[in-house]
Amino acid sequence: MSLLTPLALLSALIVGPLIVAMYLLKLRREERRVSSTFLWRRMVRDVEANAPWQRLRRNWLLFLQLLLLLLLAMALARPFFLTTGISGRNLIIIIDRSASMAATDVPPSRLEAARRQAQTLVDQLPEGGRATIIAVGGQMEVVAASTTDRRQMYDAIRSIRLSVGGRGDLSQALALATALAAREPDSEVAIISDGNVEIPTDIRVPATVRYFPIGQRAENVAISAMALQPGPAGQTLFVQATNYGPASVVRRLDLYLDGALFNAYELNLGPDGAADAVRTVIVDVPAQVRVAEARLSPAPGVDFLPSDDRAWAVSSADAGVEVRIVGPGNRFLETALALLPGITATKATTTTVSGEAAPQITIFDRVAPETLPAGNLVFIAPMRSTNLFSVTGVVDFPLLRPAPIVLEGQAPPLLRNISVSEVNVLRAMRIEAGMWARTLVEGDGSPMLLAGEREGRRIVILAFALQDSDLPLQVAFPLLISNIIGYLAPGSGLEASQIVPGQPLAVAVDPAVTAVRVIRPDGRVEAAQIQGGQAIYAGTDALGPYLIEQARDNQVIDQRRFAVNLFTPEESRIAPASELRVPQVSGLQQAVTREQVGRQEIWRWLAAAAILVIIIEWLVYQRSGLAYLWQRIRLTLAARRRAA
Amino acid sequence: MTTTSSQPLFDSAFLRKLDRLALLTRRAMVGDFQGERRSPRRGSSVEFADFRPYVRGDDIRQIDWNLYARMERFFLKLFVAEEELTVHLLVDNSASMDWGDPHKLTYARRLAAAFGYVALSTLDRVTVTAFAAGAGGQLRGVRGKAGALPLFAFLQRLQPGGAGNLADACKRYARTAINPGPLILCSDLLDPRWEDALRALGSRPFEITLIHILAPQELRPQLDGDFRLLDAETGEAVEITADLETLQRYQEHLREWQEAIERFCHGRGITYVQVDTAQPVEEFILTMLRRRGVFR
Repeated sequence: MSLLTPLALLSALIVGPLIVAMYLLKLRREERRVSSTFLWRRMVRDVEANAPWQRLRRNWLLFLQLLLLLLLAMALARPFFLTTGISGRNLIIIIDRSASMAATDVPPSRLEAARRQAQTLVDQLPEGGRATIIAVGGQMEVVAASTTDRRQMYDAIRSIRLSVGGRGDLSQALALATALAAREPDSEVAIISDGNVEIPTDIRVPATVRYFPIGQRAENVAISAMALQPGPAGQTLFVQATNYGPASVVRRLDLYLDGALFNAYELNLGPDGAADAVRTVIVDVPAQVRVAEARLSPAPGVDFLPSDDRAWAVSSADAGVEVRIVGPGNRFLETALALLPGITATKATTTTVSGEAAPQITIFDRVAPETLPAGNLVFIAPMRSTNLFSVTGVVDFPLLRPAPIVLEGQAPPLLRNISVSEVNVLRAMRIEAGMWARTLVEGDGSPMLLAGEREGRRIVILAFALQDSDLPLQVAFPLLISNIIGYLAPGSGLEASQIVPGQPLAVAVDPAVTAVRVIRPDGRVEAAQIQGGQAIYAGTDALGPYLIEQARDNQVIDQRRFAVNLFTPEESRIAPASELRVPQVSGLQQAVTREQVGRQEIWRWLAAAAILVIIIEWLVYQRSGLAYLWQRIRLTLAARRRAA
Repeated sequence: MTTTSSQPLFDSAFLRKLDRLALLTRRAMVGDFQGERRSPRRGSSVEFADFRPYVRGDDIRQIDWNLYARMERFFLKLFVAEEELTVHLLVDNSASMDWGDPHKLTYARRLAAAFGYVALSTLDRVTVTAFAAGAGGQLRGVRGKAGALPLFAFLQRLQPGGAGNLADACKRYARTAINPGPLILCSDLLDPRWEDALRALGSRPFEITLIHILAPQELRPQLDGDFRLLDAETGEAVEITADLETLQRYQEHLREWQEAIERFCHGRGITYVQVDTAQPVEEFILTMLRRRGVFR
């Protein structure tokens, strides 16, 4: 323990003797004439038997006052302990609130421990120090922006809630922290996390970055995948459980169909990394099952993240998407579409603008219509320009590669699990699209795959004909088609009914539909926004099955189900990282952990103790009055009891 | 806290009430003069006592002639003699009595005056004695209603004295008093040798009534803090720290002391009456003393 202002202790040396001197002066007794000291003498004789105690008690007040003085002098001297913490004046706290922070290995939860750590850091902030508090995980949120108000900081820290959607991604937060730190000297960045975060490599933080690891245990078993698909006998349920912990465990997996227990399995799961760490259960279930739920039996002490122990799958049997293929006929396309569940493909040679409603998706294979139908569109090797794009020529033997923007960021949903560089193309159209289109794959400077939204509909353009490439022969083809359909008809296709928390639900709706209701897993009913032929609902923060009802004039005409699951291996792998690699301008590559630079000042505690002593001193001073009061109360109570 | 001696002890309305009272004695006592009290001797009154054969020298007026007619022998008819008594009033006017609010000595004076007046109105003889060093005094043998004025004047003149020695004063009084009769001692008894004093008085056939006068400040002291208490008589100092605990212990001692006095008095046939000077004298006399059988 050290003192910030040791000179303040001198005050005790000055005031202390003063108190003692005043005491000595005060000890002169008031003289009082009484009729006789006869009775008093008798009593004093009695009291003198325990005289030392009596003398001590007389000095109680003196002791208490000296103690009070000592406490106040110590508080003025501002003693502090060195702790792991921060030393800067401009503090940027980044708190991880991703799904893994729900782990309960640090009771009550890692997030709560992180909140406490953040509060400790705020406590250590010197007078007038500012703090910015950023919550990462899901959508980044700045809960307190460069404030000096501690109350606001505490409120902000308390307001941080778990966000199960998305990974804990530090890149945005660190970019913001870098900008803030560059503006003010003496800045520090504190990252409070379990280390299960993505860290950008291209950032150099111009401040000291300290990492406060949260969490101790790695044991966790998760349901890592689950699907309910149409199968030969009704439907097939597929559940995959993965052990992310370091030791083998035996867990029971309970399957519930539409809320009723269907079956239970005992799973022997090997340690993380072993071949038997993943177990899969595949079981045929009746066709009328709508919602399947898988639960891992609770295992406190062996599983510290309960939120990934439950998963849901919904039946996609009743979700149909109508696709019309316009063109001369394409076996590849038809076969690929037929493989997708819930797709009804119709063929047409031309765009028939009849009275019937336009299908959800129209694929123009090597043709381009005069008038564009409603709904989402796919163009494959369009022969001529439309009002969406213009065809300016032909590219021979283009070399396909993902567009630069695709390389930089995350893979767009259209290219998920697809590698295009191995695709050979004989001939492609040179297409120039407007600003709405985003080039996903390019070949020799010309876009090969474009996607975008215009006038409320989604459009995908593939520049080459399938017959002019070996794409249909590759594994990527059915996936690409599935992705395209998934993009154009959200809420359909293989993975459509599975979404991650925070991902918006999008359902194509009939123009005649007047209201779209969303029934959440907790039973709450909310209305979804209808926009451009789509109903969008973004509140998918809770895990579980969601039911979307489309209603026309108070009559339900369509129901769709979605399951929101936490199938994120990175979050389920809850083993805390002891170190974090964050490059800093100072040359350090690693965030500093456990350095004793924080000053834990304790003058507040001393001041609180001083207040306590003052109260005790007052009570001692007033003891006879208090005792009298107490006696009165006792007598009154006794009288009342007698009366009752 | 000295009293104004010119202040009248009682108003006339209270004296009229006192007229209706009479001092009760539990046994017959010997007196010198004829009075209204039953005497152990035989005398002339209307109450028949006994017959006795005539011997020479007897007053022939007392021969019962009716009996002589029947028995033809002389018998004297004896009647209960009624004699006067000497009521002894002892007023402690030591310095410790010169204290308290209401004042203890004033209270004692008024009590003594009341007792004296009642005694005089029943044709008893009254002797008032004040014992304090330097301010002692005695009024002997006043008799009849006419004696009330000298009695009141004596009591009003009574000044508080210095340190009194209650025991010595009582011994002296017990030695010198003639015609023991009812004795009323008005004192605060604040003397370590109070037992000796009562024992000395008890050695003569007095019928003692002890009126124990204490001021409310002595019964329930209101002190808080550190004090140096000075004795009014001896000037002795006692240092105390008064808090509730101390005061409680003081009151315990006080109660024990009063109980000790009461036990002592009970064992010696002394009527012990406590009085708090906060209680008005009139009320005390008319209710408390009657209830205790001191007055009738």
